[in-house]
Amino acid sequence: MADVLVGFCAAVREGDLVTLESTTLAAPLLRVLYHRVLEAGAQPLPRIALEGLTDNLLRFGNDEQLAWVNPARKDDIESVDVRIALEAPSNTKRLSNVDPARQARYERSAEPLRNRYLERAAAGELRWVLSAYPTEAAAQDASMSLPEYEDFVFGAAFLDDPDPVARWQEFGERLDRLARFLMTKREFRIVGDGTDLRLVTEGRTWVPSNGRENFPDGEVFTGPVETSAEGEIRFTYPAVFNAREVDDVRLRFEGGEVVQATATRGQEFLREMIAMDDGARRVGEFAFGLNEAVPIFTRNTLFDEKIGGTMHLALGTAYPETGGLNRSALHWDLICDLRSGSEVYADGELVYRDGRFLNGSS
Amino acid sequence: MRDPRYDALAELVLDHSLRLQAGEVLRIEGEAVAAPLVVPLHREAIKRGAHVYAALDLGGLKELLVAHGSDEQLGFVSPMELREMDAVDTSITIWTESNTHSFSRADTDRRQRQLAAQRQVAIRRRDRIASGEHRWCGTLSPTQAHAQDADMSLDEYEDFVFRACHVLDDQPVEHWKRVGEQLQARATELDSVRELRIVGEDTDLTAIVEGRSWRAAYGRQNVPDGEVYTSPVETGVSGTIRFRFPAVFGGREVDDARLRFEDGRVVAAEAAGGEDYLKSLLEIDEGASGVGEIAFGLNYEIDRFTRNILFDEKIGGTMHLALGMGFETLGGQNRSALHLDLICDLRREGEVYADGELVWRNGQFLEDPQPARPAERVR
Repeated sequence: MADVLVGFCAAVREGDLVTLESTTLAAPLLRVLYHRVLEAGAQPLPRIALEGLTDNLLRFGNDEQLAWVNPARKDDIESVDVRIALEAPSNTKRLSNVDPARQARYERSAEPLRNRYLERAAAGELRWVLSAYPTEAAAQDASMSLPEYEDFVFGAAFLDDPDPVARWQEFGERLDRLARFLMTKREFRIVGDGTDLRLVTEGRTWVPSNGRENFPDGEVFTGPVETSAEGEIRFTYPAVFNAREVDDVRLRFEGGEVVQATATRGQEFLREMIAMDDGARRVGEFAFGLNEAVPIFTRNTLFDEKIGGTMHLALGTAYPETGGLNRSALHWDLICDLRSGSEVYADGELVYRDGRFLNGSS
Repeated sequence: MRDPRYDALAELVLDHSLRLQAGEVLRIEGEAVAAPLVVPLHREAIKRGAHVYAALDLGGLKELLVAHGSDEQLGFVSPMELREMDAVDTSITIWTESNTHSFSRADTDRRQRQLAAQRQVAIRRRDRIASGEHRWCGTLSPTQAHAQDADMSLDEYEDFVFRACHVLDDQPVEHWKRVGEQLQARATELDSVRELRIVGEDTDLTAIVEGRSWRAAYGRQNVPDGEVYTSPVETGVSGTIRFRFPAVFGGREVDDARLRFEDGRVVAAEAAGGEDYLKSLLEIDEGASGVGEIAFGLNYEIDRFTRNILFDEKIGGTMHLALGMGFETLGGQNRSALHLDLICDLRREGEVYADGELVWRNGQFLEDPQPARPAERVR
């Protein structure tokens, strides 16, 4: 895994400054990554997190402390050439009892950093990859044993293949073709159970996500026209954000804005997040998940948004490279299973049915 | 699961050592294995209104750097870390290691180069501490590795550490303030002393300290603490001294070292174990065979040797000399990349004379110093 992350995903080169970010649980993989980065002639800079520290801040911090931006983090984002970050949670539900308003304040404080980092990434000055190291907490969320979950993670990343990089390159070419096809379309309509939504993508770029910035990967995404979302959508999977779950989210859009948001559980949290700022009510990302080696929902967006046969919308900030203009402290991916009884029309033509693009689409 | 002793240690460091104020920026640095102390330090700093973050390392990474890094990688000094040193108001170093012997087999020269690069950051901080722009404290969170070095179980070692830090007292901060008053009085007395003579087992050493200032260490920059120290006159150390406790430096030990000094320089060195290593350390540079520090350990809760200098140099009833780097602020002029603390146990048979007056016997300063005994008392 370290070989692929350093050699393929982040393509670490001699002289690069490379931050390695994770929790202590990922220590075995972090050590191998550190070694591989040294071998590439680059400078590894470990950034080890203790989950308990965020808990301290969110529980006991005053408004000023919640809003504080650590200058050392800012300096990292301005200075490094590569970020390799690994999810490795010890407890994904640890922030469940935090006041959503405090959490929103904390998220807002991180926004300038995230924008700056996405900006440097879009300008090609900073390469980054987000991956996952399997832990008991993540396995538990996926309703698996740790050995089962490890198989799932490594399978999703094609690491069970004798030549994972070749597999990712081949998959990447397929995603390229699909992105080129989608670029020829201007308007999409998604139809399914509780869903009939229109989005305009004209003038925007569809980006194939091929294992460079997320690992595993496998989606194509764009930033739709900010005022274009019209209609309603029902998200079949629980929406997970910072370990909070919101079940059976239904959104109604008018002129690109959410005008109605309901959920069977966590509705208050949903509404608090959407009220975070102006951009949080608009769609920043529209995407299709295409990784067939991710067949099931595991309560982890890194994987869930790539489930083959799904689409997702993100409320909040857009990725600059798509041409999307929406900006927000929020980026919340909401995932909709399209594998049964769903259809997608592009400029009025049926292009996708029951989880697959039709022949000729890619 | 929460152990209130770690909370108490955190509060002592924040309130007594750093006197942390709301709005200040605090950096906690150490290995992630120090989490049992990092988390309460962070929490209590948040409660005090500070902006706090942790810069954590993982055991085993620097070992990879020393084993596999190129010259450039070994010598790399992070510009971000240097800028951090300029930006933060206060910092805490937790010296906890996950393995205290992980560099034992590393190439000494490569390790020295890596340490030299790392020292650039420490020097930046030292300068800001000296100019009063930065407050700093070093402490330790107990781990299996340190317990193992101390020949104890972790449970026993935690008891030992927390006793030494006096965090089990009702008012730890008050305790350390009292220690400060006592040690300050002792340092003031020593300030007027011209010459010290230390007499003990295979030991008869004279050190001139005239014109140097003694410093009381009472929990501001180290927790635990408890010593008075100065840098002796560079040419004024003569005689012999035997260090019964092993000296630990860079994960290696020197056992039962015996040194002979003439005019402030080591002229003969032997050791029961690690003699070659000792001699190689003396040759690091010009200042390495000179004396940078002379001190008395006065924390009587630290009653045994545990192979950790933070504790060992404060063992109540001992004195220590450091070969190498002296303290400029106390008048010390010796300069070296080395600062090797060597500890001499004066608890069973030890006497110290100040300008001919007996001021210390068997591990204690005397309340009423006595005139010198006839010379035959002294071997």
